[in-house]
Amino acid sequence: MADYIIETQNITREFDGFKAVDGLSLQIKKGEVFGFLGPNGAGKTTSINMMVGLLKPTSGRVIIDGQGMEKFDKAAIGVCPQEIVLWDNLTCAESLNLIGDMYEVPKDILKQRVDQLLEDLFLTDKANTLVKNLSGGMKRRLNLAMAVVHQPGIVVLDEPSEGLDPQSRQVLWKYILSLRDEGKTVILTTHLMDEADRLSDRVAIIDHGKLLKLDTPVNLKKEIGGGDIVEITLSDDSMNQKVIKKIEETGNVLSVLEVEGIINLRALNAVGKLPQIIGDIEETGARMADLSVRQNTLEDVFIDLTGTRLRE
Amino acid sequence: MKFLSLAIKDLKELVRDRKGLFFILVFPIFFMLVFGFAFGGMGQNNTPYKLAIVNYDEAVTIPMTGESINFGNNLTQLLEEAKYENSDVNLFNVTKISESEADALLKTRDIDAALIIPDNFSQSVLALIDHTIVTTTNPLAASQSTSPNITSTLIIRGDTGFINFGVSQGILVGVLAQYQDEIVIQTQNAVRGTPGAQPNVFLNSKVEPIEGTQNFTNFDFIAPGMIVFAILLLATTVAANFTREVESGTLARLKLSKMKGFDLMFGGLIPWSLVVVVQVIILLVVAVAIGFHWQGGLNSILLAILVGVIGGIASIALGMIIAAFVTSVSQATNLGTLITVPASFLVGAFFPLPDVEILGVPFNAFLPWTHTLKALRALLTYGEGWNDISYSVAVSVVLTVILFAIGVILFSKNRLKAEN
Repeated sequence: MADYIIETQNITREFDGFKAVDGLSLQIKKGEVFGFLGPNGAGKTTSINMMVGLLKPTSGRVIIDGQGMEKFDKAAIGVCPQEIVLWDNLTCAESLNLIGDMYEVPKDILKQRVDQLLEDLFLTDKANTLVKNLSGGMKRRLNLAMAVVHQPGIVVLDEPSEGLDPQSRQVLWKYILSLRDEGKTVILTTHLMDEADRLSDRVAIIDHGKLLKLDTPVNLKKEIGGGDIVEITLSDDSMNQKVIKKIEETGNVLSVLEVEGIINLRALNAVGKLPQIIGDIEETGARMADLSVRQNTLEDVFIDLTGTRLRE
Repeated sequence: MKFLSLAIKDLKELVRDRKGLFFILVFPIFFMLVFGFAFGGMGQNNTPYKLAIVNYDEAVTIPMTGESINFGNNLTQLLEEAKYENSDVNLFNVTKISESEADALLKTRDIDAALIIPDNFSQSVLALIDHTIVTTTNPLAASQSTSPNITSTLIIRGDTGFINFGVSQGILVGVLAQYQDEIVIQTQNAVRGTPGAQPNVFLNSKVEPIEGTQNFTNFDFIAPGMIVFAILLLATTVAANFTREVESGTLARLKLSKMKGFDLMFGGLIPWSLVVVVQVIILLVVAVAIGFHWQGGLNSILLAILVGVIGGIASIALGMIIAAFVTSVSQATNLGTLITVPASFLVGAFFPLPDVEILGVPFNAFLPWTHTLKALRALLTYGEGWNDISYSVAVSVVLTVILFAIGVILFSKNRLKAEN
């Protein structure tokens, strides 16, 4: 039995000379929730498509449970795509039964699974409703159910929260955690920090097709250091660099930089240091328009690594 | 059985997409109506058709009278004198020539049809008369009759892609059937002593108008073409449908499963073949309703459905080939139309094409729908049976299998493998 359920060995994918994924090497452990965090266009979906066999890498190799892509058992993977991929003129139950048939799930077992999934994802009363008549959230949940109806060992969820209302998102997150409890390996791509933070055992931060960092959310946040984050918006952002220089000279903070027109600084006991920081700003002659204090997140890790925010 | 699940899925989607189904079924009907009204009156102008008669018949002597009769000449005379119903216009301009001369004139379309009367024609007519006499005078002895059962085959030869041949053949089949009926009726009347009948004359050469001939129109030739046009149009619909699965990502979902290319293709065949069955029936009903003179019986419908389904499978294969190369539904629709409409003209669905041969083979003989059309015309317009269409069906099957194999290979390679 392989230690890692999925391994990518220096995979690269080019589209007309553009490198969407550039030398990605990862090892995903069996039974973990593995988060892929990165902005839209970072290469997350392309990486996933190569891992599940929909796309051939331009170079490099993908190994699933010790097997190359040519030999792996297709039933081992379930994929919930980013887009809603459903047949509009089938009902929820028909859709799940069809996919179950495609994975050769025996009829009696399939019926039980379909009923259970519909219940788990709050779709029982919509079992015989045509997909085209479902709400967006219901479609999303059915999209997820289609990926797991054959009970795969590896579940790949590509931006599963996209377009979900808060209620549906809670249902989804609870379900993802239940998958981990069942011992399944979950690969989750997201551009939402809180989603990656709350659900993932380990997070790979990816941008421009390259792996920037891979660790647990706690370690990643530790790596950029402790402290709180203070974000300051000046009424005139042309003063930002002058203010940053002044704060650096005072030496009271761990780091300070400008991110998309906002001064982002990290400091231990930030609240206690606020009077000094505000004094520094006033000395430069700048005026504050807004100020906020919060704990650091994975986004701050991303900012630390790239100097920019996660792009929406 | 995964292909069955996919077939049921496709069927449900087809039936539940009311608008789509409406267009699939109604669009060809619209064309049928347009062509029916446009060509329904054509061919009704009582034009004599140019018929060559090649008479190999050898005269026979009638035992009761000792008279020598050549029934081939008798039939020839009848055809020369036959007139349209309620009209003074002859049905045929008859020329009596050799078989080779007839073949040459057929190729240049200087004649519309050739009738070849075999050497034993008189013998078979005589046998028919003998048999009629026996069955009329002593029905119980008829089953023990030792009179020989001689059959002769009259050959109606012509260019099946030529409208005038279609019309001529339709008329000739009617004339010949009536000729045989007349022999039997006249013989029975003579034996029973029906008033006015002359006991020793077995054939009345009186010329009577042929019922029904005045109605045969160009639409009778075009109607099967419209069915083939509808079948060909299916390629566009199938291509759009497969491409929709690609575009919406549902095909990727299926690719990730254990589904094989065969399941997808074979699963698709079943619902679309049912569409063809419904199309053939609806179009035939519509055609008959607006004036198509359907010549066959119930068997001809069943055979027409079989022929239609084979043509439909060829269209599904063409749809797969188109879907293997396009990237959007609109592209599939445009390319499908760009291929199927000219193909309909090429196979002669709307009007016959000039005989252009490539390496001795008609240029459209490589298209399965050419043979579908030939078989449908033979069945529905000319009232022919399985024996007459078996060759066309066989060729159509072979070409369809080849096209389907190409479709499966291309679609599997371009759409079912991991993207390169």
